[in-house]
Amino acid sequence: MTSEVTDIGVAPLPPGAGLFRARGTSLDIEARPVTAALPLPARLNAAAPRRYYLYLMAPAIAVLAFISLYPFVWLIVMSLQDVGVGDGEWVGLKNYTRLFSDARFLEGWVLLAQYSAMCLTLQLSIGLLLAVIVNGAKWEKFLVTALLMPMMMAPAVAGLVWLFLYNGTFGWYHWLFQSLGLLGGGSILSSTDTAMLAIVLVDVWQWTPLITLIALAGLKRVPQDQLEANMVDGASPLRNFFAITLPNLYPVLLIAIMLRFMDNFRFIDAALVLTGGGPADSTKILPIYLFEVAFKFFKLGRGAAIALTLLIVTIILGKLLVRIFEKPKSERV
Amino acid sequence: MFYRPKNAIYKSVSRRKFLEFGGGAATLLGTGALGVGLNSVMMSTRVQAQSSDDAKWKQFAGSKLVFLSENTPPSFAIREKIQSFFDLTGIEVEILTDDLPVVQQKAGIDLRSGNADYPLQYIQDKPIGAPFADFYADLSPMFGDDTLPQDPEGYGDDVWFDNFQTACGRYYDGAKVIALPYDAAVACTFYRRDVFEANSAAFEAEYGYPMEYTNDTTWKNVLDFATYFKARKEAGEDVPYGYAQHQGTFAWTTQLDIQRMMFAHGRWTDFDIDDKIGSKTPGKTKWGDDQSILMLEKFKALADVSHPDNLANGTLELNTVYQSGNIAMQIQYHEFAASIEDENTSVAAGGRTAYAPCPKGAPEWILNGGEAVNGTNCGIGGIGISGNASEEIKRAAYLFAIWSTSQQNQYEVLSGLGGTPTRKSVLALPDVVAARVRPTTMPNALTFDAVYDFGIKDPNFVLGPKIPEANEYHSIIASETQKMLSNDQTPAETAASVQSLLDSLNDA
Repeated sequence: MTSEVTDIGVAPLPPGAGLFRARGTSLDIEARPVTAALPLPARLNAAAPRRYYLYLMAPAIAVLAFISLYPFVWLIVMSLQDVGVGDGEWVGLKNYTRLFSDARFLEGWVLLAQYSAMCLTLQLSIGLLLAVIVNGAKWEKFLVTALLMPMMMAPAVAGLVWLFLYNGTFGWYHWLFQSLGLLGGGSILSSTDTAMLAIVLVDVWQWTPLITLIALAGLKRVPQDQLEANMVDGASPLRNFFAITLPNLYPVLLIAIMLRFMDNFRFIDAALVLTGGGPADSTKILPIYLFEVAFKFFKLGRGAAIALTLLIVTIILGKLLVRIFEKPKSERV
Repeated sequence: MFYRPKNAIYKSVSRRKFLEFGGGAATLLGTGALGVGLNSVMMSTRVQAQSSDDAKWKQFAGSKLVFLSENTPPSFAIREKIQSFFDLTGIEVEILTDDLPVVQQKAGIDLRSGNADYPLQYIQDKPIGAPFADFYADLSPMFGDDTLPQDPEGYGDDVWFDNFQTACGRYYDGAKVIALPYDAAVACTFYRRDVFEANSAAFEAEYGYPMEYTNDTTWKNVLDFATYFKARKEAGEDVPYGYAQHQGTFAWTTQLDIQRMMFAHGRWTDFDIDDKIGSKTPGKTKWGDDQSILMLEKFKALADVSHPDNLANGTLELNTVYQSGNIAMQIQYHEFAASIEDENTSVAAGGRTAYAPCPKGAPEWILNGGEAVNGTNCGIGGIGISGNASEEIKRAAYLFAIWSTSQQNQYEVLSGLGGTPTRKSVLALPDVVAARVRPTTMPNALTFDAVYDFGIKDPNFVLGPKIPEANEYHSIIASETQKMLSNDQTPAETAASVQSLLDSLNDA
C-alpha cells in the first residue's frame, strides 16, 4: 500500500488532492485526513517576548522548587553537616568518607542486592507464569481481580498480616512450614538463614501481581499470525513461547523490572514491620539502615549522605536499564 | 434554575470566577485547618498567688493541648477519663498514642522542627530522654510557682519510688528536671509455679537441689532449669521450654536482657559513669574484659537451651509465648502481669504464675570481684514538656502533667486498666495493699513485692547507660549479641566487636 505524502504548506489544496499527510518525522508514517488549511489572517500578532513564557511558568516552577528542589538542596547541605536534633555543624565530606569504613553500610548494599535479585527473579518468573495461565482463561476477569487484591493492601499492613502468619506461637504459615519439615524449632523470622527469605516472600506475594498484569497486557499484543505461522511450522507451545511470545514481551517486562527494581530500593514498610533488619542484621538492607540512622539514631547528616548515595546508585542503575530498553532489537541480547 | 431579576448586574458567575473563588476558599480552609487543627491553642486568664485553686486550674480554660504518648495502659486510661481533666481545667487534651519507636521518631522530628506540635511528650528514659534531654523544658521553676496549682505531695525524690525521678527526669549535669514519672516497666521473673512443682522431684534427682524459685535463685540455676526442660522436650515429653528471652526486633529489650545478667555479676556496667544520671562523654567501654566475655558465654549457653524463637520475640511476642504455656519462665516487665492473669487469654492465669525478683548473680561466675545482686532494669516513662513551646503553653501543659501523675489518677489507672504506679503513696492505699495477695482485682499488684520492695532498690537497680547515643548503643548491642546467638561469631569476638563499635560511637 502506498500513501501520498504532501508538503505541509499553508497554500490551499485542490479538492481531492493529498488526502493524507505525513506526521512529524516518524519512520512509520501515520496517515490522517487533512482539511484545507485556513487562509492566513491579514495581520499576525507580534511574537511574545521569551520572558512572557517565564512569567507564565513561574508559579509552577516556584511550587515545584518548594516541594522538590528545596528539600533536595537541603538534603545535600545536611549531608555535609553533623546534624542531629539541634543545629548542625559543618563537617565537609566526613559523612561520606565515614560510610566507607561503616561495615553496616557496606553490608546493607550487599543485602539490598541479594534482596532485589531474589525478589525480581521470583516475581518475574512467577508473574510471567501466572500471566500465561490467566491469559485467555475462562475466569480471566475474576482471576485478574483476585490477583489485584494483595496490591491494594498498604505494605505496612501486609507486613503485619504476615507477621501474624509467621508467628511461632499461633502463626498458620509457621505451622504449615513446620508440618512440611521446612523449619526447625524456631519461626522463619528467628533465624538468620531464613529471615531474608521471609521478607522476600512477602514482597513476592504483594507485587508479583503487578508483573502479572503488565505481562498480561503484553501478551494481548503478541501477534497471533506469528504464533500461528510458527505452529504451522510444527513448533511446540513451549517453543512458541520462547521464540515468539517472550521476545514480544521484552519491552513490557523491562518496564516491569525497572519499576520493581526501584521499588525494592525504596519500599521497606513490610520488612521494617517483619524484622526491623534483624535478626543479627541479616535483613538490614540499606534503606532500613538509612531509616535507622536518620530516624532512630537521629544522625540526620549521616542519613542524608546514605540517602544521596542510594539515590545516585538508583539513578545510575535506572539509566543502565533504560539504555538496554532503548537499544534496537537487533542489538539486544 | 434560579430566579434572576431583570436588572441584575451579574447575570451569571463565569467559570473562571467560580474556580478562582473555589480555589481561594480551599486554600483558606486548608491553611486554617493546618493552623488550628494540628497545633495547640492557647487561651488564658491572669491569676494571682492569692487566687483560688479553682481559678488556678481554670486559668487556661478554652485551650487545646496535644500529648504524644506510648500506647501503654496509663495513656489509654487517661484518655478514657480525659473529661474529668476538662471539667477541672477547661483545657482540651488530645492524646495520641503509638508504639515506642514511632513515638521516639515523632518526638525527635517535632523537637528538631523548632515547633511544639506535641507540647506534652512521653519521655521514656533512655530511648527518648537520653538523646533529646536538652530540648525539653525545665519543670523545676514551675514546682514552686504559686500562680499554678501544685500537687499536695510535692515533687521531691521521696514522693516517687527509688530513683524514678532521676531515671526519667534528670540527665547528665542534673541541672534540670524535664519529666515527672508517669509510668514504669520494671523487670521481674514470671514463672509457672505448677510446672516447677510438677518437675521439682525429677529435677532434684538430676541436679541435686529442688526446682524452686526464691530471691536467691541465680542465673546458673536458671541455666539448669532451662537445660532440664530442653532435655525433657527433646526426649519427647510434654513439657514447655524452661526459659525464653526478648531478642527480637526491638533493640532496647535485647540490650536490657543482657544488661540485667551482666549487672547481676559484680554489678558490671558498660561504662565507668554515674549509671543513674548518665554522661555525654562516657569514655571507653568495659566491653572486652574477662567478665563481659564470660557473661556472653553464659548468655549464649542459656539462649541455646531456651525457646527457639528468641530472635523473633519482642516483649509482646515473648509474653504470648508464656501465655500460651510454651515456656515455664520469663523475665518480663511487671505491667504484663495483668495480661498473664487474664483467664480469657492466658493458660498461665488462675494462680499458676508466681512473681519474683530477677535472678541473682552466681558467685562462681564473678571475675571482677564485685558482689552478686539481683540485677533489675527498667524503663521509666516520664511526662515532659517540649522546650519549643511558648511559656503559656508550658504552664498549661504543666497542669496536665501534674494531674496525670497524681495519686488519684495512678490509683484509678492501676485499678482500671492495669497501670504501674510511680508514686509511693499509691501503694499505701488500703485497696492496693489488699490487692497484693490473691485473689486480687489488680493483677499488677501481685508483682509489687518483687519490684517495688526489692528489684528497684539499690544494689539491685541498674538503669543506664544514659548517653546521647543511647539508641545506636542499643542497636549495636542487639546486633552483635544476635550474631553470637546465631553462631556467626564467638563470645570473645562479640565482646571485641562491641568494644570497637562503642568506642568509635563515643569517640573514645
